[in-house]
Amino acid sequence: MRCLVGAGVVLVAALPEFAMADMAPRPVTIQTFQFQPAQIEIAAGTPVTWTNTDEIEHTVTSGTPEHRTPMFNASLKGPGAAFSVTFSKPGTYVYFCDRHHFMQGQITVK
Amino acid sequence: MSTRWQRVLSIATLCAAVTMGFGGAAVTAAPMSGMTDAKAAGLRVTLDTLLQEHAYLAAMATGAALGGRQADFKAAAGALDQNSIALSTTIGSVYGAGAEQAFLPLWRKHIGFIVDYTAGLAAKNKMQQDKAVSDLIGYTKDFGAFLHSANPSLSADAVADLVKEHVLTLKVVIDEQAAGHPMAASQALRAAAAHMQMIGDTLAAAIVAQFPDKFAQLQ
Repeated sequence: MRCLVGAGVVLVAALPEFAMADMAPRPVTIQTFQFQPAQIEIAAGTPVTWTNTDEIEHTVTSGTPEHRTPMFNASLKGPGAAFSVTFSKPGTYVYFCDRHHFMQGQITVK
Repeated sequence: MSTRWQRVLSIATLCAAVTMGFGGAAVTAAPMSGMTDAKAAGLRVTLDTLLQEHAYLAAMATGAALGGRQADFKAAAGALDQNSIALSTTIGSVYGAGAEQAFLPLWRKHIGFIVDYTAGLAAKNKMQQDKAVSDLIGYTKDFGAFLHSANPSLSADAVADLVKEHVLTLKVVIDEQAAGHPMAASQALRAAAAHMQMIGDTLAAAIVAQFPDKFAQLQ
């Protein structure tokens, strides 16, 4: 029995994506004109939720100010406004606030 | 009561409120003494000095630009940016690296709009001037929101009003410079610089009230 259990543990451990995948939304807080945290790493299939706490409109726009991408572009008009995106494909996704270009963030999807 | 006096009273009330810990800090037996403690006074002097320096350097830069003195403009603009960096460092010393990194580009943004306005005057381009003024007024709301987020005892609207006054008083300086009225420009600059102390005092008082332990006098 111990061997079987041991084998089972090894088997699960060999499938880290299955064992470690976290589908709970990862929060990014927009506070004092910053994305907090500015850089996060998530498993594929994990949603990211941005919540604005500043009393001013911010956007969450994919890409960079110089090179926007069409993936997402949401306006969060004030405190409590939120927006979610589920990242299904591995890769690095950068984004920024279109009203304040110095606000930039990055999501790494494993 | 005129709207100008209403604004002055509301700002004075705000200063008194944050000094007395209206934002939630405990009211001490001598609520006004916080600003005379060395650390608190040092913060106030630093902010007042840097903000007034901002007004003077901005006027130096705009005057040089309007006078076609490129070398002077470059020198003044460089010193103005050093001042911006010093301001952001002061903000960072209180609110951390993240706030410092957010403050600097935000502060620089309004300087960009001032440059746009000055360029519009030089080119006699009314549309450019109007856009720059509109951008500056819009900016005041951004800046108010920034400081309110960092320090909830600072009303976003009150801060926006203070920055709006800064923008408008500096605009008078630039207008007089463009019109070739050095005496009027100098007098306007004294007023613009004096106003910066209102911003510095308000900000310092709010920060000290927010972090009383950080600014307590060492015994």
